[in-house]
Amino acid sequence: MAATTDAPEGTPGTVRLGQTTSICPRCRRLLDAELIEREGRVVLARACPEHGRFEAVVYGDAERYREIQRFDKPGEEPLHRQTEESRGCPHDCGICPAHAQHTCLGVIEVNTACNLDCPICFADSGTGHQEHGFSLSLEQVESMLDAFVRAEGEPESVQLSGGEPSIHPQILEMLRAARARGIPLVMLNTNGIRLARDPRFAPALAEIGVHVYLQFDGFDESTQIAIRGRSLVEEKMRALERCAEAGVSVSLAAAVERDLNEHEVGRIVSFGVGHPAVTGVFFQPVTHSGRFRADADPLDKLTNSDVIEAVAAQLPDWFRPDDFVPVPCCSPSCRSATFALYDEEDLVPLPRLVDVERYLDYVTNRAVPDLDVRGALEGLWSAKAAGGSAPVAERLECIACATAMPSQLREVAARGFMIVVQDFQDPYTLDVEKLRKCCVSEIAPDGRLIPFCAYNSVGYREQVRLEMSRPNGGDTAGTGVS
Amino acid sequence: MTARTEEALGAALAAATPLGGDALKSCCAALYAQPAVRWLLGDELHPGGSRTTRRALEMAGIGAGDRLLDVASGSGASALLAASELGASVVGVEYGADAVREAREAAAAAGLGARVGFVQGDAEALPFAARSFDAVLCECSLCTFGDKQRAVAEIGRVLRPGGRLALSDAIAEQERLPAELRGSLATIACVGSALSAGGYERLLAEAGFEVVRIESRREDAARLAERVEERLRGARLLGFDSPAELPLSASDALATIGIARQAIADGALGYAIFSAVRR
Repeated sequence: MAATTDAPEGTPGTVRLGQTTSICPRCRRLLDAELIEREGRVVLARACPEHGRFEAVVYGDAERYREIQRFDKPGEEPLHRQTEESRGCPHDCGICPAHAQHTCLGVIEVNTACNLDCPICFADSGTGHQEHGFSLSLEQVESMLDAFVRAEGEPESVQLSGGEPSIHPQILEMLRAARARGIPLVMLNTNGIRLARDPRFAPALAEIGVHVYLQFDGFDESTQIAIRGRSLVEEKMRALERCAEAGVSVSLAAAVERDLNEHEVGRIVSFGVGHPAVTGVFFQPVTHSGRFRADADPLDKLTNSDVIEAVAAQLPDWFRPDDFVPVPCCSPSCRSATFALYDEEDLVPLPRLVDVERYLDYVTNRAVPDLDVRGALEGLWSAKAAGGSAPVAERLECIACATAMPSQLREVAARGFMIVVQDFQDPYTLDVEKLRKCCVSEIAPDGRLIPFCAYNSVGYREQVRLEMSRPNGGDTAGTGVS
Repeated sequence: MTARTEEALGAALAAATPLGGDALKSCCAALYAQPAVRWLLGDELHPGGSRTTRRALEMAGIGAGDRLLDVASGSGASALLAASELGASVVGVEYGADAVREAREAAAAAGLGARVGFVQGDAEALPFAARSFDAVLCECSLCTFGDKQRAVAEIGRVLRPGGRLALSDAIAEQERLPAELRGSLATIACVGSALSAGGYERLLAEAGFEVVRIESRREDAARLAERVEERLRGARLLGFDSPAELPLSASDALATIGIARQAIADGALGYAIFSAVRR
């Protein structure tokens, strides 16, 4: 492709890493694209005949990018694919036969309404009048859950999101419906305001067995105001207190933006490690697919390697960058994770105790010492995992056995702290090859499973909203595409 | 070292079946065969693992067709490496009978049975004719031998004139080592009776070797000690608590490894590769 040959081959600092397909961020048409290494970073480049050349950084450390390609586990078949191939990836999602992975984590957005107006929102939610807004009924959510079960057999994790799902009047029934389908990890993605204000909410979540995925971007007031529109620290603390009292486990979810809260990632982790309710932290480099910083330079975006380096630099006694190992289920540059064993005195990352990289290497031809241990590690290094959940506890016990240390396994279960760094794609960074292996799906009201980054980048979100705001509230699962 | 540790070590020494009358050697072989010990070391039985082995073989110029003897060959990893990567014909000699069996199985599994053999034997009385090898590899074990002069003389005897020795070992300035790093347990951990670099050089010269090159691998030693410390910390978090299988409690082991790390940082303790030629 002519547009990527500005620098003659062999020019220092520009190395071709591979070819893929992307989209034009303006008109969304599919374009041939190239992954190139420039100044030690990985850049996705393509040219639209109408809108010109677009480049975006997709990984901040090119050397590590090349090295992690070996953490690429062959994809697994879903039980049921709901759409046919017609227009070509990524326009047939649902899952279509071209998709190379099943779904580890299903996301259901139960509403578009919110009790905040975050500048950062990629879901275009808010407190005011919602153009094409919707609120799903319990029956709709039940049929979406059934569609997920049909596709996966025994799905391990689902997340109810929004909007702000906690303000949906039937949210508890919806969470209960997910648990009733045997899904062990049911997460509620929330800003925590209802948890803070309604003393009955955390005990209700505890009774159902819900894991809270709490937006938590940092401590500085300036961070709060830039990302969420106002300072929320007090409410977050109250919410966490109530979760701890009720026995609800919590993952902190932080959107990380360059020059905004990059410096707070270490403090978020150490706060989480010290808080009785918190069992993990999810970092998400901010995507620019919603309304946030539409003018942001895609060549200046934070990526997974930047966040990992920041965590290690800010907590040098606890972490090194190589403690973070890519999740092999999705594309290796999408999600990296680590687990740490900890108590009041000490914290040790699991990769220091077990050679996780060796177990999760699917390319270098080396014998795997123990397949049970690999299976357990695959379950931990997965989008279906969150710290503190029962399946995670079981898998940590299996790993403990692999250490060959005669030990008494005292509540290992409660001692695994999980840190995830997840870089979602936006129209600038969208790499269709990566998308084909995506294992996080939005469950659409008609039951289709749409890979998360396709949902947010190529127009599905807008389609769904438009359909849901029609008088009959759109098609629901079972009657839709099959 | 605490009384409990000494007692446990005594029990471990007594329980080991002495072969050739040297209880220390048996204990050493038995300890390094423990899965828990191997886990603590990350299956890296000497600093730098196979990287150090490759470098030692390279420094001694060992290559295809060489008849190589690996003294204290353990479960055979280095012997197999020399055969598969360099094309040497290798014999490993090892004190521990279980390790010999394991090494033979590994050679067969790797399809290297024709070029690699293992025999059970004592480094201080090598069961081979004079001048029967072109080269000898001896990794992280000379320091544990009771009679080092005899072991080096034996290596000289089985090497042909002009034959090469690749030796890698712990080095220690004994007078600078803290008390915790001396005694029988420290000996098994390759520290207590390690020599200084000059000490090994003199030992080799007296046995008729010319030392060609010495390369410090102190950073590898530091990394290995760091890993052992991390794994001990992890073991404590998993509930490891003074089991009978190991001669050390978790807290004693942690304290000792901390002292060892400091000694490595201070330069009192380290690791080095020596390449030498038999005159």
